[in-house]
Amino acid sequence: MLLEIKNLHARVEDKEILNGIDLTIGPGEVHAIMGPNGAGKSTLAAVLTGKPGYEVTEGTVLFQGKDLLAMAPEERAWAGLFLSFQYPIEIPGVTITAFMKAAVNAKRKASGLPEMKTGDFLKLMKEKMAFVQMKPEFAKREVNVGFSGGEKKRNEIFQMALLDPALSILDETDSGLDVDALKIVADGVNTLRSPEKSAIIVTHYHKLLEYVQPDFVHVLKAGCIVKTGGEELIEAIESKGFDQF
Amino acid sequence: MGHGKYIAPPKGQYQVQAGEILNLQFVVLPGESKDIDVSIDLCGPGAEAHLKGMYLCNGNERVNFRIVMHHKAHGCKSTQLFNGIAGGSAQVSFGGTIVVAPDAQQTEAYQENHNIVLTPEAKVDTKPQLEIYADDVKCSHGATVGQLNEDELFYMRSRGIPEKEAKTLQMLSFLSPVIPEGREEEILLSLYHVLE
Repeated sequence: MLLEIKNLHARVEDKEILNGIDLTIGPGEVHAIMGPNGAGKSTLAAVLTGKPGYEVTEGTVLFQGKDLLAMAPEERAWAGLFLSFQYPIEIPGVTITAFMKAAVNAKRKASGLPEMKTGDFLKLMKEKMAFVQMKPEFAKREVNVGFSGGEKKRNEIFQMALLDPALSILDETDSGLDVDALKIVADGVNTLRSPEKSAIIVTHYHKLLEYVQPDFVHVLKAGCIVKTGGEELIEAIESKGFDQF
Repeated sequence: MGHGKYIAPPKGQYQVQAGEILNLQFVVLPGESKDIDVSIDLCGPGAEAHLKGMYLCNGNERVNFRIVMHHKAHGCKSTQLFNGIAGGSAQVSFGGTIVVAPDAQQTEAYQENHNIVLTPEAKVDTKPQLEIYADDVKCSHGATVGQLNEDELFYMRSRGIPEKEAKTLQMLSFLSPVIPEGREEEILLSLYHVLE
């Protein structure tokens, strides 16, 4: 199994947000996690990627058989975990090129590989930017500074394509996107699908899921997965909302 | 007085005459305590002074800046940008005073001082002051003291950039407007040193 979450409880400050999550994800699977605002969707994404400020009080998470919760955020990235941020962060003074070069080379270093040659890196970057229809001049822009909502989300998918993770978590990647940007993001995710690569799509509505068909759909409410099924759940949520669960 | 940029001595008095431009650059790197005491008089019409400074303090170092920019004639311009980082249990004080004399109409004077403290033990005290006795002036000053941005740090780490390297990138970008040309490598090494 790629990811095994067992009885995961977590809190932020004194507030219990996750109340016993069980979730198993195999290679090549796409899982959608849906739920109303405040259900704990973003908290789950934050706990899995090691965001400071979240305390795990119970449970275990294994990623490729290793204790994920014992790893630093950068070690999780090296192991092949990626989070597409709901609100991508601006980093003034750091260009996308410098940022991604540092990221790619850190991962290579962690696996005992030499740094990538600058020419090879720039070529790879250009290819992945074209893949999400980012204009080449973005390479020199400061990370997310002055980007529109759609540009920020495309930048996330670009980084995902470049880092080539085993498991991608897309946290509300569809929020704030117009139809064109949504299609670009969806194409990106679909193209990256493979028998080895898995994804968790976190969303509170069905928009992205019209374009990216999940293998499993989970409903998260009050910090628990209350229902698991297939695509039929999306339609049920669309017509009757989350109160039915 | 020349137009070139050079590293200013720690203490000095400068008189800038009509039409002249003074450029001063200050660099304080870890390893020493320093008192920098500089006073600049813009004496003749159209005189300009442009100051840039960076400081990186560590250990028990004490770094004190006292800068007085005195606009004495009309139509003079001064800009000041000082960015600094304090780690360890370093103590920094920055006092910057801009004085605009009654005759110094059409003055433009700007001063900014931004600071990052890396540890709870490091202290920064910044006091920008304006004394304006003329009425036709454009002046502004600003000072900030903050910490490395946690959200930026997590974003970088989530992409696989190790914590120390992420912090270094942040500090380098914070200092970049005030790093003198050709000294980037040396300053990068100092940044690593401060994080140790």
